[in-house]
Amino acid sequence: MKEEITRVLEAARSEIKKADSMHDLMQLKSRYIGKKSILNGLMQKLGTLSKEERPAFGKILNEAKVQISELLLQRDQEIKNLKYKKTLKKEALDLTMPSRKREIGTLHPITKVWQEIEDIFISMGFEVAEGPDIEDEFHNFDALNTPQDHPARDLSDTFYIEDDVLLRTQTSTVQVRVMENHKPPIKIISQGSCYRNENDASHSPMFHQVEALVVDEGVTFADLRDIMNIFVKKMFGEKIESRFRPHFFPFTEPSAEMDIICVKCLGRGCNLCKGSGWLELGGAGMVDPNVFSMLGIDSEKYTGYAFGLGIDRIAMLKYKIPDMRLLFENDIRFLKQFK
Amino acid sequence: MKISYKWLSQYIDIDLSPEELQTRMTFAGLEVEGVEKLGEDLNQYIVAEIKKCKTHPGSDHLSICQVNNGSDTKQVICGAPNCAAGQKVAFAPVGVSISDFKIKKVKLRGEESFGMICSEKELGISDNHDGILVLPDDAPIGEKLGTYLQQDDIAFEVEITPNRPDLLGIFGVARDVAAVLNVPLIIPEISIKETGESIAKHLALQNDASELCTRYTARMIKGVTIKESPAWLKQRLISVGLRPINNIVDITNFVMTEFGHPLHAFDHKLIKDKTIIVRRAKKGEKFPALDEQTYTLEKDDLVIADAVKPIALAGIIGGENSHITKETKDIVIEAANFLYSSIRKTAGRLKISTDSSYRFERDIADETAELVSQRACQLILELAGGKLLEGKLDSYPNPVENRIVGLRPSRVKKLLTITVSDKQIINYLEPLGLKLSRRETDLLKFEIPPYRKDLVREIDLIEEIIRLHGYNSVESFLKPQKIMDKTTFYTSRKIKDILVNNGFSEVINWNFGDPSDLNKLNIPTDDERRNNAELKNPLGSSFSIMHSMLIPQLLKNALFNIHHGQKNLKLFEQTKVFTRHNEKLATEKIHLSALITGNLHPVYWKEDQYPADFYDIKGIVEEILNALDISNPVFKVSSEKFYQPGLAVDVFLKERMVGSFGKIDSKIASKYDIEQPLFILDIKLQDIFELQKSVKPVFHDIPKFPPVLRDLSFVISKKYSYNEILNSIYSINKKLITKIELFDEYIGKNIKDGYRSLTFSLVFSSDTKTLTDDNINNILQKVIEKLKNDFNIEMR
Ligand SMILES: [Zn+2]
Repeated sequence: MKEEITRVLEAARSEIKKADSMHDLMQLKSRYIGKKSILNGLMQKLGTLSKEERPAFGKILNEAKVQISELLLQRDQEIKNLKYKKTLKKEALDLTMPSRKREIGTLHPITKVWQEIEDIFISMGFEVAEGPDIEDEFHNFDALNTPQDHPARDLSDTFYIEDDVLLRTQTSTVQVRVMENHKPPIKIISQGSCYRNENDASHSPMFHQVEALVVDEGVTFADLRDIMNIFVKKMFGEKIESRFRPHFFPFTEPSAEMDIICVKCLGRGCNLCKGSGWLELGGAGMVDPNVFSMLGIDSEKYTGYAFGLGIDRIAMLKYKIPDMRLLFENDIRFLKQFK
Repeated sequence: MKISYKWLSQYIDIDLSPEELQTRMTFAGLEVEGVEKLGEDLNQYIVAEIKKCKTHPGSDHLSICQVNNGSDTKQVICGAPNCAAGQKVAFAPVGVSISDFKIKKVKLRGEESFGMICSEKELGISDNHDGILVLPDDAPIGEKLGTYLQQDDIAFEVEITPNRPDLLGIFGVARDVAAVLNVPLIIPEISIKETGESIAKHLALQNDASELCTRYTARMIKGVTIKESPAWLKQRLISVGLRPINNIVDITNFVMTEFGHPLHAFDHKLIKDKTIIVRRAKKGEKFPALDEQTYTLEKDDLVIADAVKPIALAGIIGGENSHITKETKDIVIEAANFLYSSIRKTAGRLKISTDSSYRFERDIADETAELVSQRACQLILELAGGKLLEGKLDSYPNPVENRIVGLRPSRVKKLLTITVSDKQIINYLEPLGLKLSRRETDLLKFEIPPYRKDLVREIDLIEEIIRLHGYNSVESFLKPQKIMDKTTFYTSRKIKDILVNNGFSEVINWNFGDPSDLNKLNIPTDDERRNNAELKNPLGSSFSIMHSMLIPQLLKNALFNIHHGQKNLKLFEQTKVFTRHNEKLATEKIHLSALITGNLHPVYWKEDQYPADFYDIKGIVEEILNALDISNPVFKVSSEKFYQPGLAVDVFLKERMVGSFGKIDSKIASKYDIEQPLFILDIKLQDIFELQKSVKPVFHDIPKFPPVLRDLSFVISKKYSYNEILNSIYSINKKLITKIELFDEYIGKNIKDGYRSLTFSLVFSSDTKTLTDDNINNILQKVIEKLKNDFNIEMR
C-alpha cells in the first residue's frame, strides 16, 4: 500500500507540473484528492488493515494529500503568473504612437481679452452694461460735452446712417445711457464694437473698446489711479507700471492719457514703444460736471471717474500680435493659436 | 441649554409671542437651535365630567360611565376603583394614542366603550396608577388638559457661546433680552431670615486648595421637611428638561437654572466631624457618586470632603454618601466656585457631564455664589420649612474687584459708522449691569459687573453697543445696481464654451454687410433681414449695410481658409445683427451662426476619417438647446432658401422660429466658390433669451433602482420617421420607458426596397421598485403590438 501511495504521489507531481490552465488544475484536484479520488479510494481500504497498521498508513495518506494540495496551490500561482506575463506581452504598445486627440476649439483673442477684463472688473464689484452700436448724436456727442463744431463730429470720421444717427465712435455712449436710467451709485464697465471711418495698416473701421464709469459720493482721482493700477497689473503682470499724462477729452476734467511700461522691453526702449519705454493704453479722467448736469445728476453731491481702453490693442500687446489686420482675417491657423 | 418661554417671560416686563422672543434672542446673539412645544401630548385629552356611573352587569370591577366631554356624552367602560359620578376627569377620546396604544371603539363584556378615563401614569404625569386622575371640581368641561394644567410651554434649545457664562441661567438671558428690547428687567426679590444660633456651632470649613476653589460658601438650615415639590416648581423643572426629585434637590436645580450658578445640598448628619474640607483628592482615592458609579480619583481632582471621606466631586457631582434623603432633617447649602480648567479636566477624564459641570467649566463668577446661596435658602424656608442658622461660612481668599473699562465714543463712530450719543451708549450698557464710573472728554469709564468676564477691552464694549443697536441697522452703502443682465451674460458665455468644447473656433468679422449677399442666399425681398441699416458713407459697396445675418461672412471665412489649404473647418461667430424699420435707431440682437465643413475629426491612425454631415450639426444644435434648458423644441422642414431642399430644419420655440440648421445648397456654395459640403446652424439667441428667462439646473433624485435594458429589432417601411416610431413606443408607458437609444440602422441585403431595419435599446427604470421580468415583458409585448398596428413592422 505504501508503494501505491508513493506511485500516486509521483504521478500527481508530474501531471500537476504539466498542467497549464485553471481547468486542468481543477480536474487534477478532483482526480487526486476529491471525493472520488485515488487517495480517497485508498482511504476506504484502511479498514482492511490491522488495528496496528492503520494509524501509520492513515498518517502517510494524509501527508500525501497535504502534499498534493500544496503542489496544486503552487502550480496555481505559477499559472497565474504565466498568464499575467502573457497579458503584459499582449498589451505592450509602441508608446510613441500618436494619441487620440479631441479637437478643442478656440475663442477669438479679442473675446479672450474681453472676458478677462470683464472678470477682473466683476471681481471688483463692477457690473456689465450694454448699449447699442447704432446711436444718435446726443449720446455719442452732445451728452459727452462734444460741441457741434468739434472736429470729432466731422462726417469723414464717423459713419452715419442718417443725419443724426451714426455708428458709435466710442463706448462712452453707454455711460450716458446708464446715467440716464440709473441713480448713483454706479459702477459699470461696458465693452463693444466702435466704428470710425478709416481703414489702414494701423486703423480698422471697426474696433473694440471697454469703458468704465464709477459715480458715487466721495469718488476721487486717487480711486481712478488705484483701479487703473490694479487692472494693469492683473492684465499684464505685476512688473507693469502705469502713469497718467495730462490730455484733453471733452467729457472729463481733469483728463489724462494712460501709459504702461512697454510690455516688450519693460521700459528700456524698443521698436514697439518707439524707444520711449512706454505704451499708450487709453484715456481717463474725472467726469466733467457739465456731463452730470446734462443728465440731471447733482455734481456737488456726486463725483465720478471714467476711462476707456482699446481691447484690440490690449490683445495685440498681450499676445504679441504684430499686425492688427490679423485680428479680422479669421485665418484658422491664427485663431487656433489662442488655446 | 433649554430655556422655557414661560419662565423667561417672568423676568421681562413685556408681552412677547414665542416667535418674537425667538427672533429677539437670535439677534441678541443667542442662537436658537430648536423649539419644542411642551404639553402637546396632554392636549389630546379633554377635561370631562362623569355624569352617571353604574357597575357593569357582567363584571363587578368595571363601571359603565356616561361622560360629558363638553360637546356630547359618551359611554365609557372604566376599570378604576375610584371612579364615581360627578368627578372631573381626564378623558381620552377614540383616536388618541397613549404611548403606542391607540384608543378604539371597543365592546367590553357586551357594553360599548368610546374612549378612556386616564390615570396619572397613562397621562405621563407621574407613576401613579392606583386609579384615575380626579381633577378639582372647578375644572372647565371641554378644555384641553394641557392648557388646564398649564403644562403648555415652549422650550427653546439655545446655544450659549463659551464667552458668555452670564447666559447660563434664564435670568441672565432675560437681562440680555430686556436690554436688547430696552424694557425693564423684573428682578426676583431675595430676602432671607436668619434665626438665633450661629452656623459656626454646627459646621467648620477648611479650604486647603484655594488655587482650585476660588470661593466656597456654606449655609445651614435645620429641621426641613423633605417632600414632593409644589406643582409650579415641578412644572418649571420639567419645562427645561430636569426631573423633579424632592423639594431640596429641586430648589438647588431651580436656582442653578435661574441664575446659572450650580449649588449643592448635603445632609448635615452625614458630614463626619461636622467639617467641610475642600482639598485635592488623594491618588487612587475612591468616590461613590450619586450616579451609582464609584470613581477613582487623581491628585489633581478637587473634592469636597468631611473629616474622613470625599462627599462631593467639586462642581461635578455629589456623593452617594451625603445626599438628601427622605429622612434628612438638617441641610448644608454649598454655593462655591472652582477653577474652570480643573473642572473641565476632571469631568473630561472621568467622562461625567452634568448640568453643574457644564456651567463650572465655563468660568462663572465667584460673586454670584452669594446670590444663589441666598436665593436657595429663601426658597427652602418657603417650601421645606426649617430654620436658617445665622451667618455663613465663606472662604474667599482673593475677592475680585470690579474691572473698569474705558470707551471712546469717537471710536464707536469710527468703527461702526453709526452715530451714537454718550447718553445712548450709557442707556445701552447700563441694563447689562455696567455702571458709568467716570466721564472725561471723549471717554466713558464703565465698571464691569463680575458676571461679565468677557468685557475686558474697549472693543468688547463696542461689540455690545452694536449688538444692542442692531447689526442690521448699520446702513450698507453698496446695493446691487441691477444694470447687468446676468442670465444673458453668462448664457452667452456658456454657448461660446459649448462650441469651443466641440472644436469650433470663434471668428470676429466687421459688423458691416454686403447687400448682394442677401440675394446670393435667396433671402426673400419681404424678409425681416432685408430691413437693413444702410450707411450714408460706407467704406465701399460691399460694406454698405450693418449685417443682418452672419452666414455670408462665415462662408467667406471658409473660402479664405480653404484657399489657404485648411479644408476641415469648424467656425462660429456670436455677435449682434442689425435691422432697421421705421425706428430712429435700429434693432440689435445677439445672433449665433456656425459652420462645419470637411472631416469631422482630426486624422487618427486607428480610425477612418469621415466627413461631417447633417447629424453632426444637429447634435451641436441640440447640445445648445439643452444648455439653454429648452427641452421640447419643435423641428420643422426649413423654409430657408439657402439650404439644400430636404436637408434642413427650422427650430421653433413657443411657436416662434428661433433658428435653423442644415446643409447649404451646393448651388449657393458655388456662388462663394466653395465645392465641399457645408453645414450651418443659425440661431436667434436673443429671441431665445427673451422666451427662456431662466436657465438653471435643478436637482432630480438619482434613481435608486438599477435600469433594465432590452433590445428591439424590426424591419419598417421608410415612410415612417424615427420620431413617429419614438412617440409610438413612448406612448405605451412614458413613466417606465425612460430612454430609447437607436443603435443600428441597416439597409441592404435581405431588406426589401423602401424598408429599413432598426435596432433600439429600451431603458426601463422605476423610481419606486426594481422592475421584474414580468413587468418588462408585459410592456415590451404591448410595444410590439402597437408598432405592428401602427407601422406594420416585422420583428427580426
Ligand atoms: Zn519697448
